[in-house]
Amino acid sequence: MHAQNNLPDFGTGQKTLSIYLIGLIACVILTLISFGAVMAQVFPKNITFVIIFLSAIIQFLVQVIFFLRLNTQTEHGKLNVMSFVFTGVILFCLVFGTLWIMSDLNYNLM
Amino acid sequence: MHREMTEEHQHYLESDESDVFGFWLYIMSDCILFSVLFATFIVLNMPGTGGPDLKNYIDLKYVLIETFFLLASNFVFGLAVLNLNQDKIAKVQTWLVISFLFGLCFVFLELREFINLASEGFRWDYSGKASSFFTLVGTHGLHVSCGLFWVLIMIIQLSFIRETHIVKRRMTYLGLFWNFLDIVWIFVFTVVYLVGAL
Repeated sequence: MHAQNNLPDFGTGQKTLSIYLIGLIACVILTLISFGAVMAQVFPKNITFVIIFLSAIIQFLVQVIFFLRLNTQTEHGKLNVMSFVFTGVILFCLVFGTLWIMSDLNYNLM
Repeated sequence: MHREMTEEHQHYLESDESDVFGFWLYIMSDCILFSVLFATFIVLNMPGTGGPDLKNYIDLKYVLIETFFLLASNFVFGLAVLNLNQDKIAKVQTWLVISFLFGLCFVFLELREFINLASEGFRWDYSGKASSFFTLVGTHGLHVSCGLFWVLIMIIQLSFIRETHIVKRRMTYLGLFWNFLDIVWIFVFTVVYLVGAL
């Protein structure tokens, strides 16, 4: 009976309304910063570029921590984080490897 | 008797744990699918590639509204999970319906956008740029549509599945999937729409 009341979280952490609300507000603000920076066009292009990517990465982290509740508190949580990091490495190799090769080809064929 | 039952329950919990981990691995592999589509999109949109620019066709305000619908759907799904922890099934269903409606608005807006783009001349068969755009954003939209169908099934299942651990496990799958789609969307609107409009 005890186990029924205390349901497992499958390594996804404890959920509370306050954490969700903080996550929601942070996501809304970061989205508005991204869109605002591009729509207002007050900054030079390269600075806007840095702003939108920084805010995307922060929003990504906010979603992972506040909504997905990725954590290393339990054994399952650790496995999740490990596979998450591994995926990140593969993803990095794929995307940056592709861009590197293609820009190199572009340069050499010019 | 009581001891047997708790052992059985413990067994369920352990197999549920590994099932959820398996689903998590599926999501990770889906991330790799999206990363390849992103890489293709960026390569085909490098300076010097042919075809019309997406810039001339998109309205950022429209994309912003789409973004907020998806975020709201994700947040409301979180509220449903909170109510599930307190075993209020009727409330869970209500929140899921709201989450479904927000998601439906997102898919509807995206479809309308695609139809507008196509009718204004930014068609998927016109250039590499357009093809990669429709493949990337379309794959995300397809995932969201499947997710919506799944939410609908979940709402129906909730009314007759009484075993808490089964409901909890299925809601965890769906929650992970729904959240993952919102995370992918962050990168879609940044890489595709915002960089495209710069």
